[in-house]
Amino acid sequence: MSGYFKEIFDGGKSLLVGLGITFKQMIQPVVTERYPRTAPKMPPRYRGHIDLVRDEEGNNKCIACGMCQRNCPTGCITIKGEKPEGAKKKVLTFYRLDFTTCSLCGICVESCPTDALEFSKEYNLAGYSAGDFVFDLLKRCEERRR
Amino acid sequence: MAELPEIFRVMAYVGGIMAFVGLNAAFLVWMERKVAGHIQRRIGPKEVGPFGILQSLADGIKLMSKQLVVPAKADPILYRVAPALTMITAVMVFVVIPFGPALVARDINIGLLLIFAIASVNVLALLIGGWGSNNKYSVISATRAVSQNVAYEVPMLITVVTMVMIVGSMNLNEIVGQQGNLLQWYIFPWNGSILLPVAFVIFFICSLAETNRAPFDLGEAESELVAGFHTEYGGMGFGLFFLGEYGHVFVGCALASILFLGGWQCPFGWMPGVHWMMIKTYLLIFVVMWIRWTYPRTTLYGLLNLSWKVMVPFSLAVLLVTAAMLKVF
Amino acid sequence: MTPLFSPLFTTEGLAGVVFFGFILLIILGALVATNAVNLIRAVCGLALCLVGVAGVYYFLGSPFLALMQLLIYAGAVCIAIVFAVMLAEPHGIKRLEQKHPLAGLGAFGAAALLTWGLAALAFRTTWPEAAARVNSGALEDVGRGMMTTFLVSFELISLILLVAIIGSLVLARRGRR
Repeated sequence: MSGYFKEIFDGGKSLLVGLGITFKQMIQPVVTERYPRTAPKMPPRYRGHIDLVRDEEGNNKCIACGMCQRNCPTGCITIKGEKPEGAKKKVLTFYRLDFTTCSLCGICVESCPTDALEFSKEYNLAGYSAGDFVFDLLKRCEERRR
Repeated sequence: MAELPEIFRVMAYVGGIMAFVGLNAAFLVWMERKVAGHIQRRIGPKEVGPFGILQSLADGIKLMSKQLVVPAKADPILYRVAPALTMITAVMVFVVIPFGPALVARDINIGLLLIFAIASVNVLALLIGGWGSNNKYSVISATRAVSQNVAYEVPMLITVVTMVMIVGSMNLNEIVGQQGNLLQWYIFPWNGSILLPVAFVIFFICSLAETNRAPFDLGEAESELVAGFHTEYGGMGFGLFFLGEYGHVFVGCALASILFLGGWQCPFGWMPGVHWMMIKTYLLIFVVMWIRWTYPRTTLYGLLNLSWKVMVPFSLAVLLVTAAMLKVF
Repeated sequence: MTPLFSPLFTTEGLAGVVFFGFILLIILGALVATNAVNLIRAVCGLALCLVGVAGVYYFLGSPFLALMQLLIYAGAVCIAIVFAVMLAEPHGIKRLEQKHPLAGLGAFGAAALLTWGLAALAFRTTWPEAAARVNSGALEDVGRGMMTTFLVSFELISLILLVAIIGSLVLARRGRR
């Protein structure tokens, strides 16, 4: 008989404790973000597709050596460079990333001798055709300057 | 107003009650989603209107614009009657709820009995809705809902009989009238019986079970019965079941506040009126939602054991103790 | 508004319309209950009929009886019947077959006898006046009547209910052992 009352009492107490926990959760601030209204800030080690690093003047640091293109395991990088008249170093004229085959391994970033590549924080990727995921990184770099 | 024929008063109250049931359900759906959101530390509806308050209106328009499909093997008459019946019972019980000192559609002597008489017909609606859909999940859900309602009607009615013994009336306005201030509320043990708080808890738990609310929503256990007795209903058929459920939730909480918390009376004695009734009822509804989003669903055996082994003995004890105390003092 | 319809807009006129509505409900419900091929539909017809009876009680100024009728018969008895039907026959309900050609005739004769008896009883009894107002305290009258005039029948009925409860408990226990 005393076990019966004890069970009811303990059960009721545990139910009240549960209610207390949910009430405390309810009055705390919400943790979700209103995604299309507020863009989330990506953590520093987030890996989006690669992008060209811009230096202080806004130019890219690429010397068109071709290390990234050669090291890429899936061959998704195509670059072209040329040496203008009177200049000492090669200048990048074309950088294409085919993101459909990129595995985000990061060997291109690791192997770049001038640290000209970085992972972007781009996560909003959606498109209607495979062509939407072929990026011209040089053009993106120019666009970011503006 | 006295010179107007009776029929205009009736029509005004019918229109008012129908509008209130609809708007109340829309508000409660929004409130339910907001409470659920914040308990899970989300925001809840946000986009339609300020604070998403028009969300349930948009849902209603969507439900109304859908076709009511009757399944091929279903019973066409019973299938159509069931949602209407649950809505009718939900609207009818509002007739005797005293929202304010003069704001009651029909102030009859046995209002308390009327609420339980009509609410008991609601079970029939669930039953024929579940059976009429000709779906195994619906039938299982309907039998569950009925066994649950039969089990919890017993302690609930015993508690109500206890309250009627203390008050000496089944007129809801009279019950409210006796609870002029906070100290005279029937939830407190010095107003007739020392077990009154227990009676309140029993009544509240039973009204949760009677209205098929979580943690007693076995009738629509999504994880095992798809959606229970309204599995086959779409569009406004489903919408009426929903409106009816929220109407019954409101009536259950309004009844708890009338019987135990003084209805439209102010706890401090100034400005009694509709607003106090609304504040108390919606606070109780908030508790109902809070409970829903805290506890997981019980099992059927746990539910029936709770009724027959805990609720019934306790309510009988409350009845006996109250009778003895009324006789002695 | 023509004078023909103006009585409809008084309380008495409306009440008359409602009364005939309830009578219609009773007859309709009874017809459904006896003629439906489907057992669940028959029970629903019975519920409809009982709601109509409750309405007539209310109309005759006895709201307590009306609500008890609704609570016990429409709310509890009909649900118990439907529940039993659902538990007993999971594979659909078979159509009832007529057993004997004279069965219909016999049923008609029995019904006629019952109707005649009830009608004779009803016309011979001197009925008390129906309570004039709805709020005339019918509940107190019922309670006083049960505890004074009809005390013996009241106690006997409770005894029958007790016997029924104990009997069902005994039947239920037998299967356990």
